[in-house]
Amino acid sequence: MKNCLALVLAGGRVDELNLLTLSRPKSAVPFGGMYRVIDFCLSNLMNSGIEKIGVVSQYRSLALVNHIGVGSWWDFVGRDRGATMLLPSTKHLGGDWYSGTANAIYQNIEFIKEKNPELVLILSGDHIYKMDYASMATFHYDMDADLTVAFGAIDPAQSNRFGVADIGDEMHGYGGVLKSYLEKPEREQQPWASLTIYMFKPEALYRALEENSGENSHEFGRDIIPAMLKKHKVCGYKFHDYWGYTRTIEEYWQTSMDLLKPDSPIDLEKWNIRTNLDHDKLRDRAPARIRSTAELNNSFVYNGCDIAGKIENSILFPGVKVGEGAYIKDSIIFYDSVICENACITKTVADFDVVVEKNSVIGSNNSKTTKQDSSSQLTSGISVIGKGTVVPQNTIIGSNCSISPSLKTTDFKQKKYKSGTVIE
Amino acid sequence: MNSTLVMLLAGGVGSRLNILGAARAKPAVPFGGRHRIIDFTLSNAMNSGLNIIGVLTQYKPLSLMDHIGNGEPWDLLGRTRGAKILPPRTGQQDSDWYKGTADAVRQNMDFIRSNKADRVMILSGDHIYKMDYAEMIGFHKKNEADLTIGMMPVPWEETNQFGIANVDQEGRIIDWEEKPEKAKSNLASMGIYVFETEYLLDALQSQPEHDFGKNIIPSAIENDNVFCYPFEGYWRDVGTIKAYWEANMDLLQVDSGLDLDAWRIRTRVEEVGRLGDRPPAFIAPGGSVKNSILSPGCVIKGTVEDSVLSPGVVIQEGATLSKSVVMHDSIIGKNANVSQSIIDKNVITSENATLGNGDPNKANIEKPSHLWSGLIVVGKRAVIPANAVIGKNSIIGYYTSEADYHSLQIPEGSTIKNSRA
Repeated sequence: MKNCLALVLAGGRVDELNLLTLSRPKSAVPFGGMYRVIDFCLSNLMNSGIEKIGVVSQYRSLALVNHIGVGSWWDFVGRDRGATMLLPSTKHLGGDWYSGTANAIYQNIEFIKEKNPELVLILSGDHIYKMDYASMATFHYDMDADLTVAFGAIDPAQSNRFGVADIGDEMHGYGGVLKSYLEKPEREQQPWASLTIYMFKPEALYRALEENSGENSHEFGRDIIPAMLKKHKVCGYKFHDYWGYTRTIEEYWQTSMDLLKPDSPIDLEKWNIRTNLDHDKLRDRAPARIRSTAELNNSFVYNGCDIAGKIENSILFPGVKVGEGAYIKDSIIFYDSVICENACITKTVADFDVVVEKNSVIGSNNSKTTKQDSSSQLTSGISVIGKGTVVPQNTIIGSNCSISPSLKTTDFKQKKYKSGTVIE
Repeated sequence: MNSTLVMLLAGGVGSRLNILGAARAKPAVPFGGRHRIIDFTLSNAMNSGLNIIGVLTQYKPLSLMDHIGNGEPWDLLGRTRGAKILPPRTGQQDSDWYKGTADAVRQNMDFIRSNKADRVMILSGDHIYKMDYAEMIGFHKKNEADLTIGMMPVPWEETNQFGIANVDQEGRIIDWEEKPEKAKSNLASMGIYVFETEYLLDALQSQPEHDFGKNIIPSAIENDNVFCYPFEGYWRDVGTIKAYWEANMDLLQVDSGLDLDAWRIRTRVEEVGRLGDRPPAFIAPGGSVKNSILSPGCVIKGTVEDSVLSPGVVIQEGATLSKSVVMHDSIIGKNANVSQSIIDKNVITSENATLGNGDPNKANIEKPSHLWSGLIVVGKRAVIPANAVIGKNSIIGYYTSEADYHSLQIPEGSTIKNSRA
């Protein structure tokens, strides 16, 4: 795939991810005990033999810039290879923040033209999956498409959250010409939803972006695909394997828990997923230390962990320390957080550097909070603790709670917080 | 600090490590899950601000060369930094292997000269310890010494394995005995030397000897300024199977003094031929781990106790592993029972096999000095057949498989060899 240029849309912040995207774009959210979400996309690109990429980002991009570096971890350094961060910049004639996915690409059109690619792959950096983009390119060339969009199967009742399409079957199970496309339709529709992976003939892309530039809205799903359907050959490529969403706390938690299923659909080893081992000092940490009092069951641990408590169905990131008598269940604990003696954490996502002091209880399996009851807007039973917060000892916090980052023990005025509370 | 050049002697055979040292130089033997022994010296150098290191290799250097690479994990990459592999080479006169420590340094005098450093620090890559070399160099400078030797007290019964010194109150070495039968002191050389560069070059040119301890050091003590830099703390020569196993077990002791994180020991995590990174360690339902070290990529379905596991080790259902060191990608099969064993890389222990049977006092018959404390060593890529029962103090050779076994009952002290080799 020498002449393919890939552009990764990695900028977005999603409000549904709550506290996890306060300090980072969603593509930089930690996942799977050592990775960032974008690693899946970057590793797929590497494994597909794509050697030139641009990463388009604007929201709080520092975490992402640190993570990607010069791209060497994914083999993007070399004479004809490269990874370029495409951040918003002022240009000769104005220049502005990116206003929509298509606009973000449009503002970088000179970068694309300069690379003179045969094929432009545009994709988002916030999904958990393994795909060989070379197979999709073969489909794209075989169909002689101007634009190929990848689709995955969904429950049609969920149509209103996706861009859905009616796809021909010229390629026998792998899809064909796109017959219709609707962005987030209100009524139940087709079972094929856009995975926001687009392959363009460069000339078709340039023209579509030019034509769109005068409009008010600049999104690939809402604007570019419908417009191109009228004049161009647009095809749908059906992807049949696992697809993990991470757009809401519930999706993020569920996709993480998929890692722990028997015969998990996410095979990190086979998928050849790479990350930046320099980021957060991953490679400098000694192997995980499991103490005599530890009990671990169906869980992930990584270098730098020091475990003396009980861990069940959970994912612990590097440097997490768990004291004796502590119990962590169905939870995801990010880097360097400390869960002290006899604390109990259930169905909770804790960001970096959180401390839960001894005997505190956070979260529960009882998730019967309705939206009305939940001022935190969390309703799936998962509590979230923001980066750097210290929960004082003997505090009891229910499910669906949203605990802000950087809180000190003195910020906790109560000993007990009911489910659905926002603690700020 | 840039005016000290490091010469790291990494050519050691490590023959007493038996089959662990058969495929690689001793400094390249894995340690503590994901490190190699040489990481301690390289990391000490990095943490001491030493930026240019010549690594003298000779015996089976490939693992070591892959491991060191461009030196980047130890911050040796940059304009004023570098890790240079120095293998034996043919020259105008010499076309010889390194005959000893001093000879190895002598054959690289051109490298030393080209670096124009004021001092040369000579280290070996065989030991587990943390030391601030900067402090030792400061001590050397303060004393205006020609040579400073790092030394520490050792048990009296081990003095016959070391160079032993007597020092005066200022720390000046006044007497030296090389591996004495009956020592006058228990202050032993750690093989760590700081030389003034010119002094070193003169000594190497004027004396023909191959090792530092026999002539160069004694004559320096007699004629010049030689000081002892005293070291206290954790230091292990892991040159024997027993010492190697014990040092690994020290990682599991709370107060052993060995602390990889606090010591900031760095390693190369990239492995040749691997595309993806090792995922986190996974403890499966039914798995159990106590008092152990787990590296990335491990999958634990059985029971692990008091053990050190390198990346990618798989413990199958019903298997039990205790008091053992297991290296990269080895598999302990279903219901196998392994205790007090050191298992090299890519070993398959098949179902229901038992390692660690019988009397720990029956030493290995062929190599009683290597295996006598009850440990078993298993060489790289060995396949231990299902239902085999392996006695203590046995050696299972590398690349052995079922065809090499005459019986599945292997008594204590046996050696299984590869019959095709």
